[in-house]
Amino acid sequence: MKATLAAAVFAGSTLRLAAPLLLASTGELVSERAGVLNMSVEGMMLIGAFAGAVASWASGWPWLGLLCGMVAVLPVALLQAWLSIRLRANQIVTGIGINILALGATTLAYRALFGGRSRTEIPGLERWSPPGLGDLPLLGEQVFRQVPLLYVALALSVAVGWTLRRTAIGLAIHAAGAAPRAADTSGLPVEKIRYGAVLFAGAMSSLGGCFLSIGDIHTFTEGMTNGAGYLAIAAVIFGNWRAGRTALACLLFGGATALQFQLPATGIQVPNALLIMLPYLLALVAVAGVMGRQSPPAGLTLPFARH
Amino acid sequence: MAGVAAPAAPWRVPDSTPVAPGPGAAPAATPPLLHIDGIGKRFGALQALGDVSLSLRRGEVHGLLGENGAGKSTLCNIVFGIHAPDAGALSVDGAPYRPKDPADALRHRIAMVHQHFSLVDDLPVVDNLLLGQARGVLRRREYADRIADLSRRYGLGLEPFKRIDELTVGERQRVEIVKCLMREPRLLVLDEPTAVLLPEEIRSLLQLCRQVASEGCGIVLVTHKLAEIREVAQRATVLRGGRVVARSDAPDREIDDLVRAMIGRTAGERAGGAGSECSRATPAPAPANRPAADPALMLDGIGVRDADGVERVSNFTLTVEPGEIVAVAGVEGNGQSELGAVIAGMRPPTSGRWFVGGREVTRATPRELTQVGVGVVPEDRHAVGCVLEMSVAENLFLDQLHRYRRHGALDRTRLERDAADLMQRFDVRAKGPGAPFASLSGGNQQKAVLARELTRRPLRFLLAAHPTRGLDVGAVEAVYDHVRSARAQGVGVLLISSELDELLGVADRLVVMYRGRLMGTCPAEPAERERIGGWMAGHAA
Amino acid sequence: MNLPLAARFGGRQARAVGVSLAAVLGSAAVAAVLVATMGLSLADGVAAFADGAWGSAYALGASVNRALALALVGLGFIVAQRANLTNVGGEGQIAIGGMVAAAFALNPHVAALPLGLAFALPMLAAATAGAAWGALAGFLKARSGTNEVISTLLLSFIAVWMLYGSVQSPALLRQPMTSSSTLPESLPIPESTQLPLLGADLGLPLHVGLPVGIALALGVAWVLRRSVVGVQLRAIGLNPQAARRAGIRITAATVGVMAVAGAFGGLAGAMMLQGEQWVLKAGFSSGYGFDGLVVGLLARGSTIGVVAAAMLFGFLRSGGINMEMVAAVPTALVVVMQGLIIVAIAGASVAFEGRRAVP
Repeated sequence: MKATLAAAVFAGSTLRLAAPLLLASTGELVSERAGVLNMSVEGMMLIGAFAGAVASWASGWPWLGLLCGMVAVLPVALLQAWLSIRLRANQIVTGIGINILALGATTLAYRALFGGRSRTEIPGLERWSPPGLGDLPLLGEQVFRQVPLLYVALALSVAVGWTLRRTAIGLAIHAAGAAPRAADTSGLPVEKIRYGAVLFAGAMSSLGGCFLSIGDIHTFTEGMTNGAGYLAIAAVIFGNWRAGRTALACLLFGGATALQFQLPATGIQVPNALLIMLPYLLALVAVAGVMGRQSPPAGLTLPFARH
Repeated sequence: MAGVAAPAAPWRVPDSTPVAPGPGAAPAATPPLLHIDGIGKRFGALQALGDVSLSLRRGEVHGLLGENGAGKSTLCNIVFGIHAPDAGALSVDGAPYRPKDPADALRHRIAMVHQHFSLVDDLPVVDNLLLGQARGVLRRREYADRIADLSRRYGLGLEPFKRIDELTVGERQRVEIVKCLMREPRLLVLDEPTAVLLPEEIRSLLQLCRQVASEGCGIVLVTHKLAEIREVAQRATVLRGGRVVARSDAPDREIDDLVRAMIGRTAGERAGGAGSECSRATPAPAPANRPAADPALMLDGIGVRDADGVERVSNFTLTVEPGEIVAVAGVEGNGQSELGAVIAGMRPPTSGRWFVGGREVTRATPRELTQVGVGVVPEDRHAVGCVLEMSVAENLFLDQLHRYRRHGALDRTRLERDAADLMQRFDVRAKGPGAPFASLSGGNQQKAVLARELTRRPLRFLLAAHPTRGLDVGAVEAVYDHVRSARAQGVGVLLISSELDELLGVADRLVVMYRGRLMGTCPAEPAERERIGGWMAGHAA
Repeated sequence: MNLPLAARFGGRQARAVGVSLAAVLGSAAVAAVLVATMGLSLADGVAAFADGAWGSAYALGASVNRALALALVGLGFIVAQRANLTNVGGEGQIAIGGMVAAAFALNPHVAALPLGLAFALPMLAAATAGAAWGALAGFLKARSGTNEVISTLLLSFIAVWMLYGSVQSPALLRQPMTSSSTLPESLPIPESTQLPLLGADLGLPLHVGLPVGIALALGVAWVLRRSVVGVQLRAIGLNPQAARRAGIRITAATVGVMAVAGAFGGLAGAMMLQGEQWVLKAGFSSGYGFDGLVVGLLARGSTIGVVAAAMLFGFLRSGGINMEMVAAVPTALVVVMQGLIIVAIAGASVAFEGRRAVP
């Protein structure tokens, strides 16, 4: 009985912790498949979290907060897109720069609006469970009762995967990243596709950030993403740029984080630090090519110019 | 009826050529399908195209001939909307045509089969064919049926669900062609389509051209393969250095003139005849009395496959003795680049072995090759021969910097002094040894590279690939003077070039490379021109 | 003399400096506007900033110490950049250096060494460990073509969490736990392993690390400008094919420069521990790595640039802290400035240098 409870709690925590990663990594997947390495996921998540929290607090409607979060991220995503695609700047450096900028800006804005109080309660999203599943004994409460954004995340992940494989736009995105020249000579607007992909990644990152602030802990704390954005990128790498595997990677990372909280209770002594660094270690192993060949889109990080 | 024009200047372009229409062509009253008028294009300092005009009728197969760098691809890219011209205008069916991008060109039903395939390797054929054409959800099965219909119609077998990277090169090209045909184009541009095909695939392609043309589509066939032009083109235009140097309305009859137009220098450019004088002045010295000396270079069955799996060099066997200049003649694109890359140590051969001075160097690194005495003047000096942003002095001694080490630091004074010395000996003109390499003219850059390679000690063998490309007459002279003096010192020289006259003027022996194979060998005498021309056009020895 | 060099570099270097300067001034302007919109007194803020940055001998010394750590990371960055490699793992390399230095310093045998070895050995060990950490990324790049930015970034996170783990466990570096509320940090390192101060009586907390840093800066400048290795690295960075043709060993160079970058980061960590902090805590590297990255980017490949940028950011940090304490202007403002500077420089650099293209 206790074991099943523990397992249920673990499953539920895994889903909860994986949700923001799932949202952000789904967006990042699209961006990278189109050829833009969007390092600023961390910053965009943070901005989404902040803007969403403030909007929710100001209006009292958490769903409005979600919307505002996405709107607030758009200019940042546009900036990243413009720098990477039009100016052809180093995508990684600009991404890190935007992350630092976002950290400073959100901290500053938070201080300005709320002063030193760091735990202003904001109206948050109520948990929800799918009909039927929520009533299951034990599992229902622990596993299926989640912030609705989690279900949105799962649905979007599946939708994106399907879109990439089965639709014309998915094909166009794939070509823009894997063979931009071929896409161009086939009449596709490579730049526009990339812009769109980055904006999508921005919107998804914002949702991921909102999950943290409006969905999960119902407040905003400075720097609350705490590396989640980088983990989302790591998930895409670990998932070898495929939607299904990326989602699994997010679950894996979520599980590793959930272990942090559960393992001490079971008496197994694993240093917390090891569990926290596990996702990065896994991503490093993947990038090193140890786990089979990595197949990133051939045009990733390379700006496209017709010669 | 006009052919290649006036004998006084055999390569002069006639002003207006009455058109001899081919089968299926529209009558002369209607506007041409494609009219290119005075197109010019520069890329930075390079004038890629200058005042190029061309006209094409419906149902006509028009051959566009020229060496690499002559501007053929640039012209095609302009027609297809990849570049915008700096001067001139295009019109299609009489209406002005100014494509902003390939999508525009496709909307005008102009399609292009590219030289380097424009396919997404990790997707199946059907996805590649859907690219840019589909909307909404992909209906692969349906499309596969359409593909099957088209394939049957043109005799182009395709397996719709196979991934591109599983296809042979010939099959990939079929995909490219079907991709174009599915758009029902009125103009089809084929950029070097046979470069990678087997003989029977070439025959099918040419047949396809005839068939498509007979249905009223205009075809621009870009190639340097003369046999194909002869077989299928109704008219031909020759580009050289970005300009039109010859036209023909009967390419099959005038093929030899076309070859000459493509590769020879014009009368005006050959001041004093760079080839004819000098070699007579300094005849090859008798090889030093070393009957048992190892050959400077021995290639034994060298084969090279490129990244696409195409065999670029096959079973190439050649020997260069010390104190001998051997020329490898041939129109560009017949495997010379790949051969050069092997000899420079930049890639190992896929098969075969090779030796320098009797020592096997098949898997040697560039450093080892240098130590064994190999000097290389590469065909693209900017890619491999030099670092443009560094100074002349640094470039001259890039592989010997450790010799200028003084307490770990680079002894710039000594470096620049030695560089100045070398520059003077080889007449490299620059602001100074410290000037950036990029500031030198092409001729001086080449002289600098030569200076570096020819002063290696030991130097057993020198490869010079297209060493006079882009150089003025004076520089060309200087290059060959240095090559001859290397020969005089007992160095074996392999000269790869398509400038037949120059080769005949300086080499002792000549071989022809065609489609990666050695076609024949003969003494480098003008009398052999006929034979050589035949080999270059692909006629067996 | 070096006239050809000046003539050659004059135009480009001047433009590069101009870009950096414009970025800094621009972000300062934005910061000023932000301060005004927050309703805080700009004059007060600037005064507090100045005070914290150089207002007293102590403040000056602290700023210089911070600049020292940043300069080391920045130097490592530009060395790697010469060969066209981007090291983003400064934060982790500092962490590795701090951990190893602490481990050595807390060892009684080491602390008992004479003749200054007590503080020199931990520094050396830290540099070596940092070198290994950097070399790992270099090796992955040379062998598998792994993008060094991604690998150094991932390694950085791993190292930071390793540090965190090491100060959580009494078996590793945590001080003996007397109660459950014992702070997760190490014991203070013994005095013999602390870096001796230079002008103790002057009230300046400058330590022996400073001359070491200056010497290293001079060394890097010399290697990059005058040594044979520097020229070869430049060739690799500009045209790896031509460099290969000229017989320059690319793999060794790749691993080598990344090792150097890592070593500098490790050394910075050691100096931070042994020179100022004396206790290893979680969050030890606290952004110095990313700041060092910014310094490296701003420097545009020049050693003088690193020193100047490091001083700027060292002062920014000290001033920022005081600004918050006294004038209630959040340090986040400084973070915003840094972000703006990075974005501005990365965006503008293309206009001045022209970038790469497509498969």
